[in-house]
Amino acid sequence: MSEQVSWVPEGLDTGMPSAARLYDYLLGGGHNFAADRMLGEKFLRAQPNARTIARLNRAFLRRAVLFMMDNGIRQFLDLGSGIPTVGNVHEIAQKADPEARVVYVDFEEVAVAHSQLILEGDPRAEIVQEDMTKPDAVLKAARETGLLDFTQPVGVLTVGVFHFVPPEADPSAILAAYRDAVPRGSYLAFSQFTQDLQPEEMAGIVEVMKKSQNPMFPRTMSEVEGLFGGFELVEPGIVPLPLWRPEGTNTDDPDKAGIYAAVGRKV
Amino acid sequence: MELPELAARWMHALTSTAYIPLSRAEIEQALLESLRELPESPESVANRLVSLHATGPDSLSATIELLSPTFELPVLARLSSAYAQAMRMDAFDQQEQIKVAIVRAKQRVERTLKVSQARFQEVFASSALGIAITDFDGRCVEANDTLAEIVGLESGADLTGRQLIDFFHPEDRTALASSYRQVRAGHVDRFRDQRKLIREDDEPVWVHLAASLLRDADGEPTHHVTMVEDISELHLLQRNLDHQLLHDSLTGLSNRQHFATQVERRLDSQAVTLYHLGLDAFSVVNNGLGHDTGDKLLKIVANRLGRLAAEKNAVVARIGGDEFAMMTISDNVTSTVEEIQDALAEPTFVDDHGIALSASIGVVDRPPAFATAAELMRCANAALRQAKARGKRQWALHDPHDDARRRGKYALAASMPGAWEHGEIEIVYAPVHDLETREVLGAVARLHWDDLSHNDTMALADSTGLSLPIGRWLLREACAQAARWVEEFGDRAPTLHVALGALQSRDEDLVADVKRALDETGLPPERLRVALDISSVLAGDDNAAVLHDSGIVTALDGFHGGHDELAVLAEVPVRAVITRAPAPDPDSPLRQAMRDLIATVHSFGVRFGVDEVHTLTDAEHWRSIGADAVIGLLPALTAAEVTELLTTAPSPPPEAS
Repeated sequence: MSEQVSWVPEGLDTGMPSAARLYDYLLGGGHNFAADRMLGEKFLRAQPNARTIARLNRAFLRRAVLFMMDNGIRQFLDLGSGIPTVGNVHEIAQKADPEARVVYVDFEEVAVAHSQLILEGDPRAEIVQEDMTKPDAVLKAARETGLLDFTQPVGVLTVGVFHFVPPEADPSAILAAYRDAVPRGSYLAFSQFTQDLQPEEMAGIVEVMKKSQNPMFPRTMSEVEGLFGGFELVEPGIVPLPLWRPEGTNTDDPDKAGIYAAVGRKV
Repeated sequence: MELPELAARWMHALTSTAYIPLSRAEIEQALLESLRELPESPESVANRLVSLHATGPDSLSATIELLSPTFELPVLARLSSAYAQAMRMDAFDQQEQIKVAIVRAKQRVERTLKVSQARFQEVFASSALGIAITDFDGRCVEANDTLAEIVGLESGADLTGRQLIDFFHPEDRTALASSYRQVRAGHVDRFRDQRKLIREDDEPVWVHLAASLLRDADGEPTHHVTMVEDISELHLLQRNLDHQLLHDSLTGLSNRQHFATQVERRLDSQAVTLYHLGLDAFSVVNNGLGHDTGDKLLKIVANRLGRLAAEKNAVVARIGGDEFAMMTISDNVTSTVEEIQDALAEPTFVDDHGIALSASIGVVDRPPAFATAAELMRCANAALRQAKARGKRQWALHDPHDDARRRGKYALAASMPGAWEHGEIEIVYAPVHDLETREVLGAVARLHWDDLSHNDTMALADSTGLSLPIGRWLLREACAQAARWVEEFGDRAPTLHVALGALQSRDEDLVADVKRALDETGLPPERLRVALDISSVLAGDDNAAVLHDSGIVTALDGFHGGHDELAVLAEVPVRAVITRAPAPDPDSPLRQAMRDLIATVHSFGVRFGVDEVHTLTDAEHWRSIGADAVIGLLPALTAAEVTELLTTAPSPPPEAS
């Protein structure tokens, strides 16, 4: 018998801010609570450009999904998908091809419940409640949905989430496990905060998030490169968000983008 | 400014204030339509902006700034207020949605909680352990029925509110209370103990108990949980049963199964030596002094071997009636064998009888790592058989080659019944030649299986208990074949000779079998010669005499020329003796002896035949000293071949040439 009664999950407390709802708030969404908005304000003080960064990150997600669609990908595994907000993967993908399938993965209760609400009535998209840093469990649950065919290339998305994975969780082993589960020709879209751009603001963000449920771990260019083992980076490699295959002329300042983005192809 | 250009600029302004999940062209198109619509219906433009997610904090101001030179203020004012309204409605919708999500998540958690509680209840109720949850004053908050049963109450509910510690023996209470305090204070996670409970009927019960802390959701300790295992009665009995399954009840040593698992366990990691002991002449003790004495003796042996094993850090077991086994980590085999014999040789008195103890020992030393325990024990057993064959107090080391030979033989013996059933064992016919006339006297029916000779096949059959049925079959089949030849070829048909194995020669049904074979096949009795194994007449069996009285000519096979054999010839009416011996060399003094022997045999009126004579030279040697007939000059033929020969050959049948 367990000595500690631990079946009440943490994180259901709406008084505790969550990164997923913070992101929603920064994107101008309404799926958030007072505590999330308070954290959002602190975040904005540390990084005044945060709303733009959120927008750029979301836009990168869209471009990455469409890029993969152009390259034949029709099934996606979105790790750490968070609160469904503006422009979700299944919306983007299914607009391009209604047959596209998406499995979302998130661990946070409210994000999962919310995703289920949004996905009700869509037979080609589902959310599984798993910790994305536990690839075995995630892949098992993803297989059980029956939506993904792991003999065909898969688009794996980890957009704006890996900065929540601490070094001790062995991020490269996590990505390697996902890489090993998908066939050649699969893609990985990746974005995460870096201290290479605006180090002072980044330090401020780390400080703000330290006290939240989701402390952050920015990574340098070379650290990000190290995560792409077994993947071949597609052009233009690892770049600040707005420089990754911009649509038309880019007008955003890459130096203030805060986040590196990259897409790799499994070779 | 033209509307398309304005739409493009608006698009740029908006996309830097909010994330709109559309391509630029799509956004531009939507905005162009909005611009055209704006003067008439600023409200629908506002709704469209919100539904596009152009809802960043600066989205509206950027819009107003961009559109103010082109559009009238009242239009922009209506746009602004409609935008604010749409934003409010959108926010409400989203808040509503997130609240539904929260409620759902909570419901799911509560459901999980209920399932967890149900599981806990199930464990609590069905556990074979007594479980009590007590508050920090030691009172039972909840207890299961198993615990009630252990302390002699009806149900778990009867324990509620009572002090758990009061059920323990008074002497144990202070120590127990202290242990609980240690857990409560966090000095230890849990304690385990063995204590005496006093049941309601004052009977003491020995229990194992383990106690630990229960904590609430915040990790604060709230209760103690105590698990209680009844280790008296049934539990002890169970343990005893487990012991019995692995141990020999008489001596208390490990039994064969347990020993095998111990060997298996050691085998992988260490080089071992296995000793398989068989007590010498134990059956004499058992039969002569009684089983009680025998049992006592076995206990003494077990004791001594146990002591020796303890000294040598070896494993010992009783693996059969009077058989023991010992496994050592490889050591000096000779000295260990000595130690075993010395231990057994200590003066032994059982019920006033002085008994000399010794053992035969089969040894397997440092077997290859891939051997299994079962193989090892079989090898040790084989070595023990060898040792026993040499006499008492002997030991033998397992010889893998010898074992392979025996195993080959056993494997062959094991496959014999199947081979017979499938018709793989054939009958062939070897001609008997008269040495004087060179005529074929008849044909000996013989077994033929694979490359095995008749005698090897018969010996194998003897070792499997098949010799009787096979012998009868041989007799009957050969008679039937001979009868067919008589019918077809008349006098030219060969006389049938049948050589019987040792067992069949002594079989009390033999005479009946022979008669039945003749009756059923219609073979005239004078056409049959039966060669009995000479051991049967030596043993005093009267089959030869009875057959003779029945009019059947007999011979004795396996003649060596011994005195006893010659004596038999004087009494038993046989026509011939058959021997197997190398042809005596003309220059050898043996030649004269053999000549004299043959003369003696002849003097009894008995003919002298030799089997396994394969060359004319040898045949000539035998002829020159007086032998009458030989077998083996021509290879044995199948029945069909004999028939063919008889058909094609003009009379008489072929002679040896």
